Amino acid sequence: MSTDKLASELEGILVKRIQSDQLFLPSLPAVVVKVMEVLRDPDAGMKEVASLLERDPVMAARTLRIASSAAFAGGSKRITLQEALARLGTKALKGLLVEASTQKLFVSRNVQINDQLKVLWEHSVAVGLLARDVLALTGQGDSESAYLAGLLHDVGKPVVASVLLELERQLTEVYQKGWIDSGDWLRVVRSVHRKVGVALGEKWQLPAPIVACIKDSGEYDKSERHSLSNAVCFSNALAKKTGIYAGEVDAEDNDAIIMIGRSVIGISDDILRTLTKGLRERMVGLYD
Amino acid sequence: MPAILTVDDSRAVRTIIGKQVKELGFDLLEAEDGVQGLEQLAQAQVDLVLLDVTMPNMDGPTMLQKMREGGNQTPVIMLTSESKRSIVAGAMKQGISDYILKPFKPEELRQKVLSVLQGESGADAVVQSEGSAKPSATEPASGPTPAGGKFVDIVLVDDMENVHKKFRSLLPGHVSLNAFTSAQAALGACRERVYRVVVVDTEIPDVNSAVLAQQIRVLQPHAAMVGLVLRTANDVTKEIREQGFDDVLFKPFRSEVVDDFLLRYFDNQDFLQVEDNILKVAPFSGKADKVERFYGRIHGVFPEALEKVAAACYDEVVLDLGTPPLEGDRLPKLVLAVSEKSKELGMSLALVGPPDVSKILGGYTETKDLKVYGNVQEARAGMAA
Repeated sequence: MSTDKLASELEGILVKRIQSDQLFLPSLPAVVVKVMEVLRDPDAGMKEVASLLERDPVMAARTLRIASSAAFAGGSKRITLQEALARLGTKALKGLLVEASTQKLFVSRNVQINDQLKVLWEHSVAVGLLARDVLALTGQGDSESAYLAGLLHDVGKPVVASVLLELERQLTEVYQKGWIDSGDWLRVVRSVHRKVGVALGEKWQLPAPIVACIKDSGEYDKSERHSLSNAVCFSNALAKKTGIYAGEVDAEDNDAIIMIGRSVIGISDDILRTLTKGLRERMVGLYD
Repeated sequence: MPAILTVDDSRAVRTIIGKQVKELGFDLLEAEDGVQGLEQLAQAQVDLVLLDVTMPNMDGPTMLQKMREGGNQTPVIMLTSESKRSIVAGAMKQGISDYILKPFKPEELRQKVLSVLQGESGADAVVQSEGSAKPSATEPASGPTPAGGKFVDIVLVDDMENVHKKFRSLLPGHVSLNAFTSAQAALGACRERVYRVVVVDTEIPDVNSAVLAQQIRVLQPHAAMVGLVLRTANDVTKEIREQGFDDVLFKPFRSEVVDDFLLRYFDNQDFLQVEDNILKVAPFSGKADKVERFYGRIHGVFPEALEKVAAACYDEVVLDLGTPPLEGDRLPKLVLAVSEKSKELGMSLALVGPPDVSKILGGYTETKDLKVYGNVQEARAGMAA
């Protein structure tokens, strides 16, 4: 069987599984689910949240690190986890938990795809930063949610990658073929990931505007110029333009998206320059 | 005078564009569709075309294609309500300089027209690619760069200059401050410098301070954002934090409040500075009830400072006491502790301070034999002798 046919077959299997609701989707870590439940109660205290979070030392350490930064008025004083959570606030904490859970998806024990996932994650972080900054610098729209929306816009890709890995193993037992070409792999991932991402977003009960960004961030919404999906659409293209992306890029199509986005969202030369200057340096330290 | 051709089937749109083009000082030509547009181009010298997409007789992309096929390279800005990327990508293949989505703000039209006519348009001139060393074509016109270095401790944005003066008077001399009365100037500075703390007045006329704080946060991601608010009977701290600020500072300023502010963000820097083998105690400016804390902080930081000096292989260390508070026995206790630590590290200690210091230290058995010099030069000369 040719690799093209193999790739098509894999794509077909994935689509069928999504349509028949037989696709296994990763859940949020148990500690995150419990914390989210507690946070739904407006009277919930951070003490209870802290005691839950302490069960996941990695998550707790990450929370402490972010809340201890100068941006959260930490100076150089040491603070407890409970104090850290109080500083972050509910909204920022939820975002941090979803972000940490998402990052775990972009890691694989399989060496072949782990490198690809790492580049995908870098691209996701870049889009998240750019989307947040786009709305912040234009002074319009919900910049905080834009970060999460940008981060999650390709969340379906690692899920598809892990499913492909398993399917490919099964198929090669039958067809005696090795791993499909990375170009074909990316093609399959690109063609299916949005459906998978939407299913995952719904399972994780993400806010509807964020799920909308996962579903489609290809065309601009003229009726709501500073929407999350517009910010993500523009930022996705900008991240590709600055080279933080794996895979082929249709340069003209990408430039068209940027050109349109600049007018739709209202991005001056100054803002554009600020957005892209030192982007990679700003990404350092945001993920381990 | 440059001439601009607007090609649009809507008379209302042509009228709006015409008004703005004339305000810029350009001549205006008009066409209702692509056919008329090509006729105009054949008859007159045009410097820029503002081109709609959907028009009867001949649409924008077709007119553009015919222009390019005929060798006409006049810059074109697509000005349309069409936002489909396939259409814009197709136009880009033919060569357009920029794009404006209707409805548009006059400022956008103005900026893009001028940018194209000045030959500076397009994202390629602006976007900085990762791994590319190419600088941008033009520098942003963000206002004059403030005097001083790149790293500055505090930036204060308040429309009242008196607030700047008052705040400056309460800061120690070594804490650097840039102060601006306008959001625009502050943003310009934030593009050029790195600040540790950003203080923004929450009541600047015609400025949404929360939005300004957001904008500055993008430019200064590691800085603490502090909202400056008028002190009233109501506690507005929660409200200010909900606007996106990390912290609150009240005005009129009180020295003890500014002291706390400095402690929170500048920690050890206030109290002891190290330069070569000289440890300089910062001046004390505060009320009597803060003296304990002042000495406490110095006790906390001098061991590490001495270790740095010892690690640099100095045999002597100079402790410049400046003009410290003299009440009680805190000064002798501090000097004794520094002396013992210096000995432990194998360094001899010289003290610098005014006559009052010498008098105080002379009253204690443990410190009476320590010589106090009038200035650092004398101390160095004394140690060399």
